[in-house]
Amino acid sequence: MLYRLVTLLLFISTSAVADPLAMQEVAEGVFIHQGAHEEMNEGYHGDIANIGFVVGKDAVAVIDTGGSKQVGDRLREAIVKVTALPIRFVINTHIHPDHVFGNAAFVQDKPEFIGHAKLGDAMELRRDIYIKNNTDILGNAFAGSELIKPTKPVSDTLEIDLGGRKLRLKAWSTAHTNTDLTVFDDTTSTLWTGDLLFVERTPAMDGDTRNWLKLIPQLKAIPAKLAVPGHGAVTPQWQAAFDKQQHYFEVILADIRASIAKGIVMEKTMDSAAASEKNNWVLFNSVNRRNINLLYPQLEWE
Amino acid sequence: MRNTRLILVALALSFLTMANTASAEANPELWSVLKQSFFGSKNIEPADFMKLDGPKRAESGAQVPITLTISKPQDAPDAIKKVYLFVDANPIPLAATYYFTPLNGKVELATRIRMEVDSYIHAVGETADGKLYSTDVAIRAAGGCGGGVDGDETAIRAASGKMKVHVDAPVKFGEPTPVTFLIKHPMFTGLQRDLVSGGYKPAFFMHKVAFTYSGKPVMQVEFGVAVAEDPYMRFSYLPEGPGTLEVSATDNEGKTFTHQLEVTN
Repeated sequence: MLYRLVTLLLFISTSAVADPLAMQEVAEGVFIHQGAHEEMNEGYHGDIANIGFVVGKDAVAVIDTGGSKQVGDRLREAIVKVTALPIRFVINTHIHPDHVFGNAAFVQDKPEFIGHAKLGDAMELRRDIYIKNNTDILGNAFAGSELIKPTKPVSDTLEIDLGGRKLRLKAWSTAHTNTDLTVFDDTTSTLWTGDLLFVERTPAMDGDTRNWLKLIPQLKAIPAKLAVPGHGAVTPQWQAAFDKQQHYFEVILADIRASIAKGIVMEKTMDSAAASEKNNWVLFNSVNRRNINLLYPQLEWE
Repeated sequence: MRNTRLILVALALSFLTMANTASAEANPELWSVLKQSFFGSKNIEPADFMKLDGPKRAESGAQVPITLTISKPQDAPDAIKKVYLFVDANPIPLAATYYFTPLNGKVELATRIRMEVDSYIHAVGETADGKLYSTDVAIRAAGGCGGGVDGDETAIRAASGKMKVHVDAPVKFGEPTPVTFLIKHPMFTGLQRDLVSGGYKPAFFMHKVAFTYSGKPVMQVEFGVAVAEDPYMRFSYLPEGPGTLEVSATDNEGKTFTHQLEVTN
């Protein structure tokens, strides 16, 4: 009886068909869904990051899964519409909730979950807070969401084969977060930057911005024709997008350092630093203030 | 005994916090429990001469800037000599206790705290004869207490205790002089996960900080773990003439650090 009930429940949960996400094939076999530019604490629906998949001859690799199992389910439906090939790899570009909570939708495919070597620990440390906050914000739409840790951690580089198509993964030192990973598709020279690159949306800081700034020249040297940023439009002008982001970093760091030197307190600096960048970005006021709140106490010790 | 009391308060509050999760706003009901456990049935009068300022919504729960202002001067006969600062909804609500002296002039003290969820912040001021006054502010915030500790703990411990003390120039003797104080410290809350042991990292925090000017007490502070990492304070004092501003800081493991600053004009 219990067995039959469990089977029935399993049947219901796996057969519930989610509404497939709208995808765009930005290069041959490279599909992305562009998230909306919404605030995390106001009007967030779990679908703000760029997520997608790459199709080879033998297998599919998912790159980031969205902010809830629901979004992950919808991504999975979109994959099933395009190909019957098995989903063998689920790659997370970093720890942030809008990129990882959809992992739960892919457990049924028994893929290799791949992430930065520090991703498993980061998930463990942030689990309680992330689940609490996202449950508060998303309510029922967060049901079933889980942090699924990497089964294959990447400490430096990793190559995976989708059948006639190789993806090159690279783990970076602490920049946007301490778990940043990029994915390069050899076949189309498409670079998935994760949140190491923000397009349109104000870059959000969490890890080590001074190191992030140092890494930009290395990131720009990658021989990519096209980049999928963590947020914002996919672009062939991705090196210029890195330049724009670098400019924002230089301005915010310089303005905060000047404030500290003049004895202007953090509260006041939050109203003023990087104000000249205001019209260049979306969601600037809230994200920029948060960045200053993070950076100012770090820069006080320089 | 004190620990038991804190744990009981934390438990009582956590039930109230749970009951309140549906509405993500500061819960005004927590204060009556907290007030009862710290001050019993003593009367606490709302005071218009005390004020707390902070952001309506904190950008980061890990470093929430707040400012306490007391318009009644420290040399008044009914001056506020001691202030308790509470973050009502934090797992350990008592954030800090401040002991002021006439050398503080009029109190305007800025600091940065941790907030786990939306909460009221209460400041309770006590006069020399034990009268209690209070003020509060509601702040929306998230996730400042249990967050991940990343990095090499040996290095973090080696760096802790380093201070930066700065006095705004030019100094005018006999007038309020702003002091900026920073001390390097991880302020482990005891609520952060320890992946090695599988449990929680024990609390490790800067506990007592005392400021003197040429040997005279200026201000003493007892920090709790709701004070943000690398504790920060900005406050004023009245230097009568040239002298030495000395800080002595002791952590909860009994280790003491000192720092001297020569003040001239």
